[in-house]
Amino acid sequence: MLQLTLVPLLSVDFIAPDLIIIFLVYLTLKNGQLYGTFFGFIFGFLFDLISGGLLGSSMFAKTLSAFVAGFFYKDKKIEDSLNVFTLSVVVLISSFINAVFYSLLGANQIPLSFVSVIFIHGLLPAVYTTLISFPFSILGIGRKFL
Amino acid sequence: MIKFFKNFYQNFREYIVLIILLLISLSFLPLNKNQSIQKIKTFAFGNFAALNSIISDIQNIFSNEDEINELRKLNAELMLQLNKLREHGIENNELRELINYTDSSAVNLFPARIISTLVTKIQGNFVINKGESDSIKVGMPVVDNYGLAGIVVNTSGQFSLVRSLQNMNFKVAVRNQLTNVDGILSWDGNNLIIANIPTTHEMNIGDRIVSSDFSTLFPPSIPIGVVQKKEETISGVLSNIVVKPFVDLSKLKNVLVMDVIPSNQIDSLEMNLLIK
Repeated sequence: MLQLTLVPLLSVDFIAPDLIIIFLVYLTLKNGQLYGTFFGFIFGFLFDLISGGLLGSSMFAKTLSAFVAGFFYKDKKIEDSLNVFTLSVVVLISSFINAVFYSLLGANQIPLSFVSVIFIHGLLPAVYTTLISFPFSILGIGRKFL
Repeated sequence: MIKFFKNFYQNFREYIVLIILLLISLSFLPLNKNQSIQKIKTFAFGNFAALNSIISDIQNIFSNEDEINELRKLNAELMLQLNKLREHGIENNELRELINYTDSSAVNLFPARIISTLVTKIQGNFVINKGESDSIKVGMPVVDNYGLAGIVVNTSGQFSLVRSLQNMNFKVAVRNQLTNVDGILSWDGNNLIIANIPTTHEMNIGDRIVSSDFSTLFPPSIPIGVVQKKEETISGVLSNIVVKPFVDLSKLKNVLVMDVIPSNQIDSLEMNLLIK
């Protein structure tokens, strides 16, 4: 809900951070790859339904990004994987994958150029999401809640 | 054999689950036009929008909503009237009679507030706080006091989903107001583009682009934007026209829904553009 009400206020030239991805990365690093993949699927499904977007596009993108985030899960060293550096790297990678696939599947009518997909639709939102995730990581908000 | 499959599942269960979930996701993509899926989406966004409107109300607690809405409505009516008057100056006397006839049919405007926005450069949508109970119907154009903002694509009791100009599935027949060159305007992920206009056709920077008389989704002469630049294609025969919209979608908070719905004799091709 925050993603569709408060996040638009933070958007710069229609580039907005993805709070769902930050939360999904926390969940995945805390609970593991399988758990994260399921949650990515559910979150994506709900997001597609309430945002009015193409049903299936966010489901695919978030499932895949949570799965990739799962590779950074450390079974017996959860605290290690929730440090600021790891979290930032994982958020960057996951949000990049999410943004790229969401764009590719959403743009089914007009082909996007490779540069546009990678930089404008992929990297810019990913960097913005990573920047927004810093306060959460530094303050350890994720660790307290999960 | 069972043991083999058990071991296989144990070793690769993450991948198996991933592939299944991705296949399910992909299988939803072609079902978006399905009536049952549309109903589920309407139910979901309708309920979600009710929650969102509470947050939106809190955000707008300090603004004098009614007065702003009235002023915006007046502004939009003036904008539409001004645009028609501009046309009068351009067109000849014969057409003026026809335009006068069109002017006599005033369009009713419903003020509405945006309560949630999907910020993306691909699937730009927003939800407004007016729905079927306020006589909003699918296909109605949405404007602000500067020009066209989008089109209603789904309605629930109290809320409507609007596809904005910045959506790759949004296409509209447009016309250069000065030179009468027609084309199809669409969003390419970064810019509003009128694609494949012959270079011999006059499209000058600064020309105003309005909805075309050929459009059956929108009434003619709704302001859309101005020509920002011309990009010639490799062949040099055609050019893509970049249009800067009048509406600043990033700052859009209040909109007006035009009480115009597509006619029954709607062009099937353009209906397809809306459905997609």
